[in-house]
Amino acid sequence: MSYYDIDSILTDAEKIPCTFQLEIPELGYLDNQPGQPLKAGSKIALPLWLAEMLAIANTGGDDQAKSFVTFDLPAALSNEVVQALKADPRAVPLRDQSPHLYGLATHMMDLSEEQELGVVLRKTFVTRASEIALHARKVGGTGHNKGTADEGSNLGVGGTGEEFLRGLEEWERKLFRKAHDGAKAGKEWMENVKKR
Amino acid sequence: MALPLPPGLNHAEVAFLAEMEMVTVVPRQRLESINLLSGQTPPLRPPHRAELPLWLALLLKKQRRANILPPPWLHPSSLAEIIHRETKEDPVTFSAPPPPPSHANPHDPGTARRVRDADADANLAPPFLPSCTAGAPAGYLPYHWLEVAEALLTHAGDDMAAPAGDVRSLLRDLVEVRAAKMRSSTSALEGFGGGLMSLRGVGAMELAESRGFVLGVVDGVRKIGASAEAARREEEELGGGREDDESDEDMGI
Amino acid sequence: MDIDDILREVDPTFHSVPREKRDLQDLTRAWVAERSAPELLPWPAGGLFERINDNIKRQIEKVEEMTGDMDPKTNFVLIVIQTELERFKFLVRSYLRARIAKIDRHTLHYLSTDDLRARLSEMELAYATRHQALLHNHYLSSFLSSFPPALQNLNDTAGNISMIDAPDLDAAVFIRLLEDTVVQGRGVDADGEMDGRESDIVILRWSDAKPLVEAGRAELV
Repeated sequence: MSYYDIDSILTDAEKIPCTFQLEIPELGYLDNQPGQPLKAGSKIALPLWLAEMLAIANTGGDDQAKSFVTFDLPAALSNEVVQALKADPRAVPLRDQSPHLYGLATHMMDLSEEQELGVVLRKTFVTRASEIALHARKVGGTGHNKGTADEGSNLGVGGTGEEFLRGLEEWERKLFRKAHDGAKAGKEWMENVKKR
Repeated sequence: MALPLPPGLNHAEVAFLAEMEMVTVVPRQRLESINLLSGQTPPLRPPHRAELPLWLALLLKKQRRANILPPPWLHPSSLAEIIHRETKEDPVTFSAPPPPPSHANPHDPGTARRVRDADADANLAPPFLPSCTAGAPAGYLPYHWLEVAEALLTHAGDDMAAPAGDVRSLLRDLVEVRAAKMRSSTSALEGFGGGLMSLRGVGAMELAESRGFVLGVVDGVRKIGASAEAARREEEELGGGREDDESDEDMGI
Repeated sequence: MDIDDILREVDPTFHSVPREKRDLQDLTRAWVAERSAPELLPWPAGGLFERINDNIKRQIEKVEEMTGDMDPKTNFVLIVIQTELERFKFLVRSYLRARIAKIDRHTLHYLSTDDLRARLSEMELAYATRHQALLHNHYLSSFLSSFPPALQNLNDTAGNISMIDAPDLDAAVFIRLLEDTVVQGRGVDADGEMDGRESDIVILRWSDAKPLVEAGRAELV
């Protein structure tokens, strides 16, 4: 994570479901009850950066000190999503869950131990990466493929390929670009050698 | 002014690097030694062979001042042998790189010592090893095999031991076989929990093409696994140096 | 007289590789390494760069002298010399530009400690200092000056994230082993170790590769 990284700033703005642990005067408007105190136990979605601060900071003072809020995993990383990813990582359009799904997940895993989530996401990332490489080659030319055999066709830019690519989240899009640029540069080099 | 390129040599830079490979020429004209920044070139005396960097050999070839002797590994029989090895003998990993050029030890012919730069801590590596000269071994692809082969086929096709078209079609097959290996190595990255992966025998162009993607996957796996890794290290530290990798089993993917 | 010269005198085999050739090898390796490493590498020791620059200058003068000569034979020699000159200039330029790109991206980081500053050449240090001053002034005049003084810094390290951006030293790299050596790499599930052979191409974290590269047992590719 770096200070000027826009993706990490956007990731920090993603909303996280939080539960307030104590009553807070005057904040009722956050829960559609203007003029009222915000009751302990209210569930409100807060941006990650704020949720993190409130969860880490405590009310101070005595031994009774507790966090302002506790938080849960956001919907993008919910059990349903994890189960779907376990079944077939390629079938889930991650972007619909969150355009910064992996960034969000790594941040959440820093805050609380989520062993299973980490394992599933790593598997997801690598499985989808192979698929990404496949599509990148199709779009960018087949590298050194001489023929118009199955790989050379534009299968990748229509139908399921298009659907899959649309569902890529940011890390995956970057990966797609790298794979695509590599394949394209290889093809261009091959063509240029002959021209010179 | 800053170079706007992503890390790692791109294709054009790799091709530039490959032009430093030494090749063997047979001069057609005399040419006195030239005092270059990289040192003196050998005087050219037909029909005596000389070793020159590829860029200079190509320059001479274009001016019909010399012919280039293709390296033995570019011979069709050598390429066919390599293809056989890459497909039949070991369909998973790349075939071995050329053995390090060595001075056979006269006292013990079985051992060979690697050629070292006289400067003891400068180990030579491509493109500064003689792996594309007429004296290079057949049956092994050097690091810059594709770039050197393409350059020679394009500019010195008539110096090939076989019709350039035949050599080219063998090269195409080789490119295909090896591209498939590069692809399948990506799936091996899935297990990149271990921190190391060897791609022994891979070529420079093949690296240039896949570098961004492969490194992107490795970095992604590391970032997603960062908290798990930190937890593991903490645990190991608490374990007080015990040989414990139990956590690997339930983490295994 | 530096150590190379002394060695040259005592070691009769030293002449097998002339200094010009070694310089090209060193420059090439430095270029590839700088293009591949995630962080700025130390400026080459032993006056390598200065020596190469001097030679380039001298060669340019030679080309100018020769240009008047129209003998076709000499003309070809001139083409060869100029071609090589262009290749050297490309190497030098690309090397310097790769370094400038890293300095631009993490200027404050490379200026932050003496160890890091020592990696920069004198010229680069002057460049980085001026670059940062220009940037800060530009920010000040365009928006920073309207912030409270406490928020005007560009090098605040308080809070859980530092404003001084640094390169990712754990980024993965490719290295080639220059000799047989044990290679260790940290991984997520386990830390790996392999008996590497000379010519192996290995993917690992730069932080794990760095000691091997610095010891001359491996090079970045």
